[in-house]
Amino acid sequence: MKPLALIGRIAQLLPVLLGVSVIVFVMMALTPGDPVEIMLADQQATPEQAQALRHDMGLDRPALERFGIFIGNALTGNFGLSFFHRRPVFDVIAERLPATIELTLAALLLALAISIPLGVVAAVKKNRLVDRLAAIGSLFGVSLPGFWFGIILIILFAVQMRWLPVSGRMDFACEVAPITRLMTIDSLLRGRPDCFADALSHLILPALTLALPMAAVLTRVQRAAMLEVLRSDYIVFAQAKGLSRRRILWRHALKNALVPTVTVAAIETGSLLGGNMVVETVFGWPGLGRLVVESIFVRNYPLVQAAVLLYAVTYVLLNFVADILYTLLNPRVRL
Amino acid sequence: MFKALTVTAFIVTTAISAPAAASELRVGFTLDALTLDPANHRKRETETIIRNIYDGLLTRDAKMKVVPELAESWKQVDPLTYDFKIRQGVTFHDGSPMTADDIVFTFERLTKDGAMDGQTSPRKDLVGPVKSIAKVDDRTVRFTLSEPWPILPAMLPFQEVVSKAFTEKVGTQGLATQTNGTGPFKLVEWRKGDSIIMERFDGYYGGATDIPPVGKACVDRAIFRVIPENASRVAALLAGEVDIINELPPFDMKKVEANSNTKVMKVNGTRTFFVALNNAKKPFDDPRVRHAANMAINKALIIDKVLLGTAVPLNGVMSPDAFGYNPDLPAYAFDAEKAKKLLAEAGYPNGVDASIDTEGAFKEMTEAVASMLTKVGIRTKVNVGEGSTLRAKWSPKGEKTGDMYFTSWGNGSLDPADIFVPTLKTGDRGNSAFYSNKEVDALLDAANVELDQAKRADLYKKAQVIVNKDAPWIFLWLPQDLYGVSKRVSGWEPSADSKINLHDACVK
Repeated sequence: MKPLALIGRIAQLLPVLLGVSVIVFVMMALTPGDPVEIMLADQQATPEQAQALRHDMGLDRPALERFGIFIGNALTGNFGLSFFHRRPVFDVIAERLPATIELTLAALLLALAISIPLGVVAAVKKNRLVDRLAAIGSLFGVSLPGFWFGIILIILFAVQMRWLPVSGRMDFACEVAPITRLMTIDSLLRGRPDCFADALSHLILPALTLALPMAAVLTRVQRAAMLEVLRSDYIVFAQAKGLSRRRILWRHALKNALVPTVTVAAIETGSLLGGNMVVETVFGWPGLGRLVVESIFVRNYPLVQAAVLLYAVTYVLLNFVADILYTLLNPRVRL
Repeated sequence: MFKALTVTAFIVTTAISAPAAASELRVGFTLDALTLDPANHRKRETETIIRNIYDGLLTRDAKMKVVPELAESWKQVDPLTYDFKIRQGVTFHDGSPMTADDIVFTFERLTKDGAMDGQTSPRKDLVGPVKSIAKVDDRTVRFTLSEPWPILPAMLPFQEVVSKAFTEKVGTQGLATQTNGTGPFKLVEWRKGDSIIMERFDGYYGGATDIPPVGKACVDRAIFRVIPENASRVAALLAGEVDIINELPPFDMKKVEANSNTKVMKVNGTRTFFVALNNAKKPFDDPRVRHAANMAINKALIIDKVLLGTAVPLNGVMSPDAFGYNPDLPAYAFDAEKAKKLLAEAGYPNGVDASIDTEGAFKEMTEAVASMLTKVGIRTKVNVGEGSTLRAKWSPKGEKTGDMYFTSWGNGSLDPADIFVPTLKTGDRGNSAFYSNKEVDALLDAANVELDQAKRADLYKKAQVIVNKDAPWIFLWLPQDLYGVSKRVSGWEPSADSKINLHDACVK
């Protein structure tokens, strides 16, 4: 890839971020509900108290001025104080981000591990029972709502069979000093296999719930790609050469059939960020998605603005990664 | 995949079933703490967590009576002056002694503008019109008010005492995540969004002498685990992962009762629900119409069917647990015929059209009320609106154009000065019925400056009788808080102020 293209890509990020900032700011401003009122709702407060809080939050200034301050501060990496935590937004988000990254990565790996073999098998056994089952499975995968599927998994594996925990990220007995802040990796690095097993047992159900819709999509993509490749001349040639079926399938065909799957996976990872909000709430997973949902409900403007910007950057970067992966896997394509 | 699952499950089960040396109590809780700084939030759930790490000057016993905690006793010198004797021999978790200076510092931080490194405490008005806090001697702190505020003692259990030296060292940002309290538990680790892990503080002074047992906490470890989703919280209780859960959804009560290891515990909340009738405008300016409206409502039926039995009916303003509650108020029994007759007497033989305003969250209950009113001839249309819009419409300074307003008022202090006065005194900030009765106003004003607590209670009881007769509202109910509790927990009771105090809780 040429360095010029890279710079061009990064330059594209700026208008996107500015646009996102404007949209989020306007949407939050137009949403009914007042953070001061919400904060004081538990016990009726005096008007003086409400005024003092409004001043503390900067809400007594005109909207345009608030937006100017927000943009100015954001450029220097300062996102202000979270209304409700009364601490820097940056700190609050940083505390919750690792859990979301860990869950998203686990879901991504799980989705790939399910969809690639399943897609290949479905393509090879086209229109046979396995293929039909995979199709039905995919249909369920994209249609089942995450909150429902998550609860069913909890009732089945945690309440009835008691194999896995209901919620949380790690047992309290495990105190692993942070390195990467991803619990599974840290517990391995610290030489605590017991904590690794515990972290994994907490991770399985939420990751599965999150991975399911993505696995469904990727299975269909993988199947279609595989069918396409299996029809191409070089496969016919390889068969004519008398190579073993297994070798043709997994060495020659899959390599090319992976291209669309991997690129779609990179883009779909962005949509996992949305799924996170539901899954983290159901499984009490201490990640960013839940924090953002809670913050939207209480009109915590600074936190929502910063988090949405973070999501936008991530989404753009993931698209970028998808493009790079595409060129790497398919050298004929140049950015 | 399944093999991996089974192996993991095996490892986990072995890890869990290893003999536990320490006793551990886990609470499945709806929300994480926003901060651990006692002065920098305005959230009940946050306070519940902090209250196990920090003690206050005063607290409440199981009957909601205000009793001394870090104070030894208190005395009201005149309507504007309170003296608190400070308990001696109390230490913070870092081992330093708690002194009168810490008390003064705590309350100055709460009440002075910009006292928290430039921020003003969102809890400022919960301490009331405090003019100054001064150390009289090493054992006495004096609060001086700028106007009479008889609920100061009732409001002090909401505040916790911080260490002056520690707060000055770590600053307000530091106090958000680091703790140094005088409470029964000290913080081990706060896993943000996941759990708050605490262990017993062995240097604990024992807690309020009026609330036995006095002494250290019963369990070695107490953990608040954040499980926001209702179904997951219930599942965690049923699976034995947590011992107490808050906000048990009413429709899950049966499930928890059916499980042999768990039970449901209920306690009256502090929020009074009512329908404010517009006393300033036809038809509800006529007391006969207001009486008819009260008789039209079959409260028992709504509580049973809509609220699944999780509320207590009210005949007045206050919770049965509140100070000065009058238990002898007559009930407006459900009587549709009599209601119709009263309406006819008031000049509405063919009934009358009216509307009722409500927020989306209360739509179902409001519709039940509206259909009962319609049956007796008050043909009621339900308008669902947004909270802040409705509050502005029904503000005493508003236009007084509405007919009825389904609303509620929280009374965390459980003292009439914090609910009776704002909602029913002429022109006060929550008087959305636009009710005005000089006799009631006089009684409320007299109670506001009365030092003798028995006499103060009597004044409120008299005022309740008048309000009950005037019926400025349709008196409704007080919802209860529901908890799911494991049977291995003993010594713990839910409390009306919705705090979960784990000091006395033990596990088998």
